[in-house]
Amino acid sequence: MQKSKKIVVLGHFGVGKTSLIRRFVTDTFSDNYKVTIGVHITKKVVEISVENEVSLILWDLEGTDDIATIRNSYLLGTHGAVFVFDVSRPSTFEHLKDDLKIISDKMPKVPLMVVGNKSDLVTESELKEVLDEQEISVDFLTSAKTGKEVNTLFLKLATLLTTDA
Amino acid sequence: MLDTYQKKYTNNNRQFVLIDKTGIVLESDQTLMKIAFGHSIFELHPFFESLTSVFESKEEVNFYGIHIPFEDQLFIVDIKAAPVKEGLLLILKDLTEHYNSYQKITQTRNESVIKTELTVLKNQELAERERFKNSFIQNFSHELRNPLTSIMAIIEILGDTEMTNEQLQMLDFLKESNTNLRLMLEDTLSIGMIDAGQLQIQKGVFDLHKFFELLIFTYKAKAKEKGLKFDCLWDEKIPKLVEGDRLRLYQIVTNLIDNALKYTEQGSIQFDVKLNQKRANIVNLRFEVTDTGVGISEENKDAIFESFRQVKSNGTTKGVGLGLTIAKKLLLLMNSTIKMQSTLGEGSKFYFDLSFEYPLFTDSNSELSSKARRPKIEAKHLDQKKYKILLVEDDTYVQTTLFKILLNTNRFKIDLAYDGALVLQEVVTNNYDLILMDVNLPNLDGNQITRLIRDFPFKNIKNTPIIGITANAYEESIAECLKAGMQKVLTKPFEKDDLLKLIYKILK
Ligand SMILES: Nc1nc2c(ncn2[C@@H]2O[C@H](COP(=O)(O)OP(=O)(O)OP(=O)(O)O)[C@@H](O)[C@H]2O)c(=O)[nH]1
Ligand SMILES: [Mg+2]
Repeated sequence: MQKSKKIVVLGHFGVGKTSLIRRFVTDTFSDNYKVTIGVHITKKVVEISVENEVSLILWDLEGTDDIATIRNSYLLGTHGAVFVFDVSRPSTFEHLKDDLKIISDKMPKVPLMVVGNKSDLVTESELKEVLDEQEISVDFLTSAKTGKEVNTLFLKLATLLTTDA
Repeated sequence: MLDTYQKKYTNNNRQFVLIDKTGIVLESDQTLMKIAFGHSIFELHPFFESLTSVFESKEEVNFYGIHIPFEDQLFIVDIKAAPVKEGLLLILKDLTEHYNSYQKITQTRNESVIKTELTVLKNQELAERERFKNSFIQNFSHELRNPLTSIMAIIEILGDTEMTNEQLQMLDFLKESNTNLRLMLEDTLSIGMIDAGQLQIQKGVFDLHKFFELLIFTYKAKAKEKGLKFDCLWDEKIPKLVEGDRLRLYQIVTNLIDNALKYTEQGSIQFDVKLNQKRANIVNLRFEVTDTGVGISEENKDAIFESFRQVKSNGTTKGVGLGLTIAKKLLLLMNSTIKMQSTLGEGSKFYFDLSFEYPLFTDSNSELSSKARRPKIEAKHLDQKKYKILLVEDDTYVQTTLFKILLNTNRFKIDLAYDGALVLQEVVTNNYDLILMDVNLPNLDGNQITRLIRDFPFKNIKNTPIIGITANAYEESIAECLKAGMQKVLTKPFEKDDLLKLIYKILK
């Protein structure tokens, strides 16, 4: 049987969690915003190298502005996590450091990717300004709209999870 | 009997499923979904794959809002997973309707939160840009003062030389253009000062009737040049002497009239002042400027008061100038607002109300009228000797122009210095009657030099009159110069006559 890995995608509402997963799984994008309630779970098999496949089970969680309120059961058995913020909306990364601390307290030892999404909405220099303000290093700057860095993100995480195991 | 009904009414949203430790479905009551027995429940939906960790935890776990598409239907269920001896008991509770209505509420909330945030950001960005634009324009205007002063001075010097009529006419054009440019520059700087809160209303008693007469005198001629009529009517009951900021009132009214002149091609411009109210020692007046010009379209009615905006009229764009913006801002400083009525193609009326205190008893107004007389530039009171002036200026243009102006009078002997250190040397060895000094100098600036001179132990050096020259018209920077010990500060661009007048006055 294939290895399967559970990945939770979390972050404030409207940052593009659903869109990132949709881009990764079906390579599509929609400008319409439909709020996610509860959790949507999808699966995608990726080939990390020849003869090395892993099935990613992606948990697209309801967005929240208070990460601490995320239900623990959603995080149960998680192998990897993605925290998404929106580079065009400061409120989604204002407390990045605190948010990440809460997440790593809830899921110690789970690899976490920090992702700034909607990179298509700001200029390079604005982006740099945003990043310089953060004490935390951001792993990926993605755009679900253009697809930039989306596959790279998930493949990197998948690789990380399979080599660690 | 009853339990069939009970089942129908209480349990129809709940499904019980029993699976073994490998995920094979052992039993199911099939209330919601018809699950195939003997198969792995993992095939039903990827959610179930993660149940493996519940086996390990050995505790009951509740999952909420799980979306499970089954056949043609989407179920949104809460799932309780309880470890039992056969494996795992799953209780699926169908809450599709509940979650759908919760979704709608959250949708509205999230959208409005995001929209508000983006609007705030957008406004901040606009304000930031506005600030940048204004400071850029302010700096730029300052930079323009030096070359403008030079041009003005050279024009005046040229005017004193032999010239043909044609050349004189051209010189007039040149002068006119330069004056316009200078006025625009002053306007721009005024706006900057108002915005920066550096302009203060200064009240004093003045003769309102004279004020009106001056306007009539000025604008009758101006209007006539353009083939227009100008008239000014004021209520007889308006007190003659009032207390207010005459200069700013003049600025407001002339800006409005100038604007009317600019946009009127035929007909007339009317300036009326009406008495709204007179009580105790306060009068409230209405000032109205009415024209028969092009008028302003509805869509442009706000834009015309914005600085540096262009307004489309008859398909062409035309700069509206800064007059209206200044009038509006000055009135705000005086707690009043400018109002407007306009019909496209028929004309416009701009009006505002202002209150003035007025003295109930006055001796006479003789003092006021004598003040208004314009003094001629006379140097009769001065000795026939040549006065020694030190000119400290690092800008060569300004330097040569000043040099020429002073030299042309044939009254001065002039030394030049560019640099602070040089100034002090010169001052010690020569006994100057006056020092004319740029405030912004490299190394030591004008204020520092002034302070050093004022600290000299020798009386004749220490007390040398110093006139500062600056492109910076802000009140506070002028105050700083005076504090350093300068007698007077002249702001660029200035006219030749003003400079000479000041020099003669100080030498006296
Ligand atoms: N320009 C741009 N818009 C994006 C991008 N990603 C998402 N969006 C838009 O942002 C809005 C929100 O996207 P979602 O993917 O629904 O956000 P979410 O994080 O899943 O939101 P919740 O489910 O409420 O937590 C949608 O209108 C998307 O079209 C992106 O990379 N660029
Ligand atoms: Mg979503």
